[in-house]
Amino acid sequence: MRTRTGALAVAVMALFLGVLVVSQFRSREAYSRTLQQETPEQLTRLIADLNDRNRQLRSEIFDLRLALELAQGSIASGRGSLEGSEKQLAQLRVFAARSRVTGPGIGVRVDGQFDERALSDLVNELRNAGAEAIAVNESRVGPRTWFGPGSSGTLVVDGREVRGPWMVRAIGDPDVLYVAMTRTGGIVGQFELIYQRTRFTVGRETTLDLPAVSPP
Amino acid sequence: MQKGLALMFPAVLFGFLVATQWATLALPGSQDVGIRYIDPLSGTVTRLQEEQTSLKAQLTDIRAKLDDLQRTAAAQSGAVRDLQVRIEDLKATAGLTEARGEGVVVTVDTVRAPGAKEQERGVCLAPDLTDIVNAAWRGGARAVAVNDERLVVSSSVYCVGATIVVNGTIVSAPFAVSAVGPPATILGVIDDPTQLRDLKRRRDQLAIDLRVTRSPLLTLPPYTGPLSARSAKPE
Repeated sequence: MRTRTGALAVAVMALFLGVLVVSQFRSREAYSRTLQQETPEQLTRLIADLNDRNRQLRSEIFDLRLALELAQGSIASGRGSLEGSEKQLAQLRVFAARSRVTGPGIGVRVDGQFDERALSDLVNELRNAGAEAIAVNESRVGPRTWFGPGSSGTLVVDGREVRGPWMVRAIGDPDVLYVAMTRTGGIVGQFELIYQRTRFTVGRETTLDLPAVSPP
Repeated sequence: MQKGLALMFPAVLFGFLVATQWATLALPGSQDVGIRYIDPLSGTVTRLQEEQTSLKAQLTDIRAKLDDLQRTAAAQSGAVRDLQVRIEDLKATAGLTEARGEGVVVTVDTVRAPGAKEQERGVCLAPDLTDIVNAAWRGGARAVAVNDERLVVSSSVYCVGATIVVNGTIVSAPFAVSAVGPPATILGVIDDPTQLRDLKRRRDQLAIDLRVTRSPLLTLPPYTGPLSARSAKPE
């Protein structure tokens, strides 16, 4: 009798252990489970996006290795790394949206009814397509920017009212950004269906000058 | 005891089988046409994602080495020291340093319990996450992350099917938007009935699981992705 209860206890524990092992394995592979539900087209898109991102990472690793060697050389010779620091500061000022920037890109003109969620989606889509700097009219979009509704059809960017027609300008590869916005089923196509009386015009720009983010 | 051991193996096997069977049952749409491509393609996605994790670790490592060198250089020269102070300040503003402090965590997930609305499975939650993020910034957050991905000026949150990608990285459900900043004002925006209406309606219909918690101490990791701008030049 004693052995039988013992065996039963072991069996229950083992069953529990078996379930535990599998669920542990499953949670480690949390996103793999979602992947299994995607279509081949969606998986192919994920592969393309991951490849793009990994390429960017590799190129940045390459650049930083060079910068590291340069800095090591100049420090060893006692010259300090003023140049390296200046370069990093300039890069960070762009990344924090603290400096005015210039470059090629696209402009999306929105003339008519629009709302803050759509504006936020448009900015998200531009970032997703690789936009490096974005502004809505004269308001630069910074790392902590938020969008809200304004009075009588206006929009609010970081607490400031921005009136339509809105011009959303984005610096980045003009062709990539243009195609990302205007492709079939893309965000502008969706907007045109939802905001039927609003006019959306997307154009490539050779030079855009965007202001720095306004101080809080 | 011998008998017990002999029973243990079939029991473990049985447990394993029950659990795998359960997991297979829980997979809707796995009988679709393109099924033969799913495994190799999702295998590639997983491999690329793992490669990305390793590339990000390398990048973090090189950045740390550069920072160390710059600190050494700052000790050598006053001019570098002044620049270094400004660099550290910008890094914190841009989301390149760890952020710690009190704040709010909002978690969102599709309801997996029986009786959950079928259409909410495989639904894209990215627009909900961007709405929550917007509410957090509006409430005065200093730093925001989605799961372990810190949000910066170049961050996007989007879906491919129901898979969510943040900063070019696949993130898994449940999704947590963590915001470091004044909890009262952040919660004020989140609780405002005119905000996050979609989400709140679906929560009330038991279609999604939405939880908002105040936290006395959050630690958000720094952004570890690429920074360099190819097109934008400072004026």
